[in-house]
Amino acid sequence: MFALMNNMPNLLGDQFASKFTWFPKQASTFAAENDWLFFFITWICVLFFVPIAGCLFYFCWKYGKPKGQKAESNTAHNTPLELAWSILPSFFLVAMFVMGARSYLNQRTVPEGANNIGLKAFKWGWTMDYGKGVMNPELHILVNEPTKLSMRSSDVIHSVFVPAFRAKKDVVPGRYNYMWFEADVASEQVSKEELEQAIIENGDGVWDYDKWQFTQDGYKFFDLYCTEYCGKNHSVMQTVVVVHETVEDLDAWIEKVSKRPVDQTPEAWGEKLYNQRGCAGCHSIDGSKRVGPSFKESYGNKRTLTDGDPITADEDYIRNSILYPKKQIVAGYQPVMPSYQGQLSDDDIASIIAYLKTVSDYGPKAAPKTDKEETSTEE
Amino acid sequence: MSAGSLPSGSQVKDPGYPTPSENYLTNSKGVLSWIFTLDHKRIGVMYLVGVTVAFAVAGLLALLIRLHLFQPDGMVFQGEEANNWYNQVFTLHGAIMVFLFIIPSVPAALGNFLVPVMLGAKDVAFPRLNLCSFYLWVFGALFFVSALCASGLDTGWTFYTPYSTTTDSSVILATSGAFILGFSSIFTGLNFIVTINTMRPPGMTWFRMPLFLWATYATSIIQVLATPVLGITLLLLIAERTMHIGIFDPEYNGDPVTFQHFFWFYSHPAVYIMILPAFGIISDLISVHSHKRIFGYRFIAYSSIAIALLGFLVWGHHMFTAGMSSLTTIIFSALTFTVSVPSAIKVFNWLATMYKGSISLTTPMCYALAFIFLFTIGGLTGLHLGTLATDMHLHDTYFVVAHFHYVMVGGTLVAFLGGVFHWWPKMFGKMYSEAGGRLSALLVFAGFNLTFLPQFVLGSRGMPRRYATYDPEFAALHQMSTWGSMLLGFGLLVALVVLLRSLKTGKRAPANPWGAATLEWECTSPPPFYNFERAPSVGDPYDFSNLEWDAENERYVKIEPAREIVPEEQPAAEPVHADDSK
Amino acid sequence: MSTIEASPEVGHDEHGHDHDHPPFLAHHFDTPEQQFDSGKLGIWLFLVTEVLFFSGMFCAYAIFRALRPEVFEGCSQFLNTKLGAINTGVLLFSSLTMAWAVRCSQLEQHKGLVGTLAATLSCAMIFLGVKAIEYSHKFGMGLLPAGLFFYDPSNPHPAEHPSYLAYICAPFALALVGVLIWLVVSVATGNKFQVAVAKPLSVVCLCFFVGVGLGTVLESGDESAEHVDAHADPDGLATAEVMLDVEKSAEAEAAPAIAASGAMVPVDETVLEILATDPTNVGVVSGLNALEQQTAAAGTSTVTGDGTILGAITTTEVDVMTPTTAGVFFSIYYCMTGIHAIHILAGIGVLVWLLVRAVRQDFNRQYFGPVDYVGLYWHLVDLIWIYLFPLLYLIR
Repeated sequence: MFALMNNMPNLLGDQFASKFTWFPKQASTFAAENDWLFFFITWICVLFFVPIAGCLFYFCWKYGKPKGQKAESNTAHNTPLELAWSILPSFFLVAMFVMGARSYLNQRTVPEGANNIGLKAFKWGWTMDYGKGVMNPELHILVNEPTKLSMRSSDVIHSVFVPAFRAKKDVVPGRYNYMWFEADVASEQVSKEELEQAIIENGDGVWDYDKWQFTQDGYKFFDLYCTEYCGKNHSVMQTVVVVHETVEDLDAWIEKVSKRPVDQTPEAWGEKLYNQRGCAGCHSIDGSKRVGPSFKESYGNKRTLTDGDPITADEDYIRNSILYPKKQIVAGYQPVMPSYQGQLSDDDIASIIAYLKTVSDYGPKAAPKTDKEETSTEE
Repeated sequence: MSAGSLPSGSQVKDPGYPTPSENYLTNSKGVLSWIFTLDHKRIGVMYLVGVTVAFAVAGLLALLIRLHLFQPDGMVFQGEEANNWYNQVFTLHGAIMVFLFIIPSVPAALGNFLVPVMLGAKDVAFPRLNLCSFYLWVFGALFFVSALCASGLDTGWTFYTPYSTTTDSSVILATSGAFILGFSSIFTGLNFIVTINTMRPPGMTWFRMPLFLWATYATSIIQVLATPVLGITLLLLIAERTMHIGIFDPEYNGDPVTFQHFFWFYSHPAVYIMILPAFGIISDLISVHSHKRIFGYRFIAYSSIAIALLGFLVWGHHMFTAGMSSLTTIIFSALTFTVSVPSAIKVFNWLATMYKGSISLTTPMCYALAFIFLFTIGGLTGLHLGTLATDMHLHDTYFVVAHFHYVMVGGTLVAFLGGVFHWWPKMFGKMYSEAGGRLSALLVFAGFNLTFLPQFVLGSRGMPRRYATYDPEFAALHQMSTWGSMLLGFGLLVALVVLLRSLKTGKRAPANPWGAATLEWECTSPPPFYNFERAPSVGDPYDFSNLEWDAENERYVKIEPAREIVPEEQPAAEPVHADDSK
Repeated sequence: MSTIEASPEVGHDEHGHDHDHPPFLAHHFDTPEQQFDSGKLGIWLFLVTEVLFFSGMFCAYAIFRALRPEVFEGCSQFLNTKLGAINTGVLLFSSLTMAWAVRCSQLEQHKGLVGTLAATLSCAMIFLGVKAIEYSHKFGMGLLPAGLFFYDPSNPHPAEHPSYLAYICAPFALALVGVLIWLVVSVATGNKFQVAVAKPLSVVCLCFFVGVGLGTVLESGDESAEHVDAHADPDGLATAEVMLDVEKSAEAEAAPAIAASGAMVPVDETVLEILATDPTNVGVVSGLNALEQQTAAAGTSTVTGDGTILGAITTTEVDVMTPTTAGVFFSIYYCMTGIHAIHILAGIGVLVWLLVRAVRQDFNRQYFGPVDYVGLYWHLVDLIWIYLFPLLYLIR
C-alpha cells in the first residue's frame, strides 16, 4: 500500500494538480465556481462540526463522574437558545441554496450559438456524432467555446460525467437530454517521439488509454465516465475528451477520422474500426468467447442460428449483423448487440469485412494478420 | 458525597429477579412455543436473530466488495464474468441491508420488545398481526435467498428501469420479496401507531412518553404512508416485465424516469424510517447515561414529526441530473434544506443534555457518542449534495456512497448497537463485559472512519459508483478504505462475541443497571411474560432524582421515603363509649 | 431498609380470568372499549395504506390520459357501460347490506346478521361473475396489456381462441361443487352448525354464475351495436397506411420474409421498423414512432403564407388501436380493475370467515368490532369502484 502511494504521481497523470487535492484539474468554466462553493459549504460544516465534536469530547472529560453521583444541573429547556440554534444556521442554508441554484441555472441554460455535438450512449460505449456522418468514440471540442451535447441512449439509462469539467447529465432512452460546458484549458500534445514510441509499443489492438495517458493522436485527455449503472461493463464504459486549441486543429482531426485515409488498406482501416468502435469489447479475435462470437471463427464459417437455421457467414451476413444485429443471432448468444445503422459508411463496412476475412480461420488464404505494414493481397 | 450509599430513612423499590416460570424466555419451552408465540418480547428476539443473520450475510458481501476493489483491475473476481459477479454482489449487499436489516432493525427488533413495556402494557395492540409481520419478514427473506440462488440480481438495489425491465436476472423474485417485506413493515407500523394511541397507561400523556416512543410513532407514520407506494411501484415493475404494460417503456409512451419518481417517493421517506428510531434511541441513551433530564423534550418530539412529514416532499433530490425541469429541481433543493434543520436541532439538544450532567462512559454511551460524531458528518455532507451546483459533480460518485454510509452505518447501525448494548441486560438478564463492549465501540468507530472518509475524496476526485474496476489513480484511497473495512468488520465481530459470551458467562442483571427512569426498568430483567401485573404508576421518564446507585449489588434502585405504618395503636378491646348504653 | 420484592399475589395461570375479563376481550386489553378503539384505529390506518396503494395507479392513469386523451376516448368504447353500471349498482347494494349487517351485529340479531352477510357475499360474487364475462370477452378479442395486445379491427372476434371464460369460471365452479357436497354431507350427518354455514355459502357460490349469466345476456344483446360503433368509425380507428401495417405486423413478430431471404434491405423506414421488433432497442423505436407521427401529420398540415400552420399535429389521424396506444389503455384498465378484483376476492375471504363466526354467534352488543372493521374495508372497496367506473367506462 505504501509502495503504491510513492508511485502515485506517475499514476495520476495530468488529472490532479497535486497529490492531496480534493478535485481533478479545473478544466471548464463551471469548475472554479463549483469548487469554490464546495469549499464554502465545507468550511461552514467545519465551523459547526468542530465545536460539536469538541463539546462531545470535552463534556465527557469534564462531566465524567462515578456512578451514583447526580448531575450538576437539571435545566431542561431554554426556548431562546432553541430558537437561536434553529434559526441562525438557516441563514447559512439559504446562502448555500441560493448560490447553488444560481450556478445550476447557469449550467442548465445552454447559451446561444453553442457548438452542437450529438452523443449516443449504448451498452457499453459512446459514439459522438460530429455531423456529416462523422462518428467517433472520442469527444473532441474547442477551447473557450461553449459546446452543447445532444444526448440519446439506445437502450438503458446512462450518464455522462466529465470530472474535470464538473459536468454531469443522465442520458435517457426515448428522449434527448442536453448539457453544455465550456472548456477553458486546452489539451496538451505529447512530443512526436513519445507518440511514435507508444504506437509501436501498443501494437495492434485496443489503444491503452490508461497506460499512455494520451490518445492515439498524441493528445492528453480528460476522462469521460458513464455514471449511471448500466450492466456488466458499466465500469469500462469510458471515453476521453480532448480540447483543441484552434478550430483548424479540431477540423483536421475530424477530417482524419471521418474516413479511411487514402494510403491505408481496407484491412488496416477495418482493424482500426474494430478497436475503436466498440467491437473489441464483445468480440475477440483469439477465439475466446465473450458477449459475442469470436471473429476468429466468423467469416466463412457455417453457424447455426438461435432459431435452428444454418447459415454461412458471408459478406451479406456480416453486413446484416452490423446493421440489423438482432435479426440473426448465432445459437448460444443473446440479442444484445446495438445497431450501427447510420454510424458506419459503406466503405467502413467493407473495410470491416475485409479485416474480418484476415482474422478468421475460415477466411481466404491471405497475408498473416500480424503484418500490418504489408499491403495484403486481398480480392 | 460518596456514591453508592443509600440515604438513611429510605425504602428501596426493586422488583428483584424473575422466577423461571415468569421469565419470558423460559416460561414455556420448546421450538413450537417460539414459532407460535404471541409474546411481543419473543417476537422481538426472533427479529433480532433474523436481522443479525441478514446483517452478517450482507456484511460479508460488503467485505467482498472492498476486497475486490483493493486493486484497480479487481482482486477477487476474475475472468469474463468478473464484472457480472461484482454487480450481483453490490446489488445484493444493498438490497439485503436496506430491506432485511436496516428498515426492520430498530422498529422490529428493539421496538417490538420495548414499546409495550415502556407503556406498562401487556402486549402490542394486535399480537397476531405482530407475529404475521415477522413471518412476512421471513418469507420476504426467503424470496431474496431464492433470487440469489436463481439467476441472481444485478440491477442495483434501486431497480432503475429500463435496465431492470430488460435484464435477465431474477428481478421478479427479488421484487416480490421486497413487496412482501413492505407488508411486514406496514403491519409493524400500524401496530405501533394503534398501541401508542390507545394503550398508554393512565397519567402518560403524549408529553410524558419516553422519546423512543415519539420516534417510533413518527417512524410508524412514515411506514404506513410510504410503503404502499413502494408496493405499487414494485408491482408495476413486475407487470412491466411480465405483461409489458408499457408504463416505463418509451416505446409505449412510457417514461423510465417515472419509475425513479415512484421509487424515490417511497425510498426517501424510507431513509427516515431508518434514522428516526435511531434518534429515539440516542435521546434515551444520552439522557440516561448522563443521568440528566433530556434537554428540549418538546423540540425533540416535534422535530421527529417534522422530519416524518417533510421527508415526503424531497424525493426529487435523488434525480437532480435526470432531466427534470429546472423549476422542479430548484424546488426540491430548497425543500431538502428545510429537512436538515430538525436533525440539527436534535444534535444540539443532545449536547445540551450532556452539559453539566453526570456522564458514565458505559458501552451504550460510547456508541451514542460515536453516533453523534458520525451522524453529524453524514448529515453535513448531505448539504453538499443538496446544493444543486455541487451535486452536478458529486451525484452518482463515491461521495454519495460515503454520505449514505455515514448516516446509515455511522448513524443507524451505531445507534442500533448502542440500543442493543443498552437494553441487552433487560432483554436477556445478563451483563456483558464493559471492557469488551467499549473496545468494540472504539474498533467500530475507527474502522468505520478509515473505511468511508477516503470515499468522500474519491468521489470529489471523480470516481463513479458501482464500478467493478477503476482507473489506477484512485487506487491508494481504495486501499485505505479496504483496510478500514477489515477493521470495521473485526470490531463488529468483537461486539457480537461480547454479547454472545454474556449469555453464557455474564453476571445476572438487576432490574435497573443504568439508572433509567422509564417504565421498562421497573420490571425484572428479563421481564415476566406478562410484563406488568397491573399498569405501573407513571412518573416523569427523565427524572433521575430518586434513583440511587447501590454499589453493593451493582444496581440502581428507586428510593422512596420510608413510610410509617399508621396507626401504631391497636384497636381497644372494647368500644370507648360502651358504658353509655346503661 | 426493607426491600419490597414484587411477588404476584394472584396466581397467574393460563385461564385465570378476572370476572370482568370476558372471553371476547383479549388478554392485553383492559376494557372492551379499549379493544374496540384500537381495532377501529387499526382498520382506518389500513384503509389509508390501501388508498395510497391505489393512488400510484390513479397517478399513472392521470399521466397517460393527459398525454393521449384520444386513446382513452377511443378505447373506452370497448368497455360495456351497461355491465359496468350493473356492477356499480351491485356493489352499492352490497355496501347497504354490509352496513345493515353491522347494525344487526350491534343489536344481536344473529339470523339477520347471517342473512345480510350472505347477501353482501352474493353481491360480491355477482360482481365477479360479470367481471369474468368482461375479461374473457376482451381476452378473446385481443384487447390485452401492451405486451400481449393483438386486436385486429378487421377481425375483431377471432373464431379460434381458448375458452377464457371456462378458465376463469373453473375455480368458482369447483368451489360451488365443494360447498354443495359439504351441504349434503352436513345434512346427512345432522351437523346443525355446518348446515347453517353451508346453506348460505352455496347460495353465495351460485351467485357467481348468476353474474356470469347476467353478463352473457347483456353483453350479447349489446354486442353488435357496440362493435358496430367501434368498427364503423373510420376516423382514427381504421388502419389505412401501409407503414403502420408494417409496424403492426412487425409488432406481431412476423417478419420472416426478410430474415429468410438474406437479401440486403434498402435503408429506409421499414428497416427501422424491423429493428423496432426488439424490445431492448427502446431508444430507436421511439424515434421511429416520432418519425411516423410526423409524416402522418405532415400530410394533413399546411403552412400558409404568413407562416401559420393549418391542420397542425394535434388533429392528426392516428391509429389508436395499436399496442403502443390502446395497449397502454388496457394495461391501465387491467391493472386497476385487476387489483380491485383481487381486493374483492380478499374481501370475500374475510366475509366468509365473518359468516362462520356469525353462525357461531360470536358477536354481541359489546363485541361487534370485526363486523364493523370488515364493513369499513368493504365500503372502501366499493368507493374505489365508484371512482374507477366513470374514469374508465364513462369517458365519452
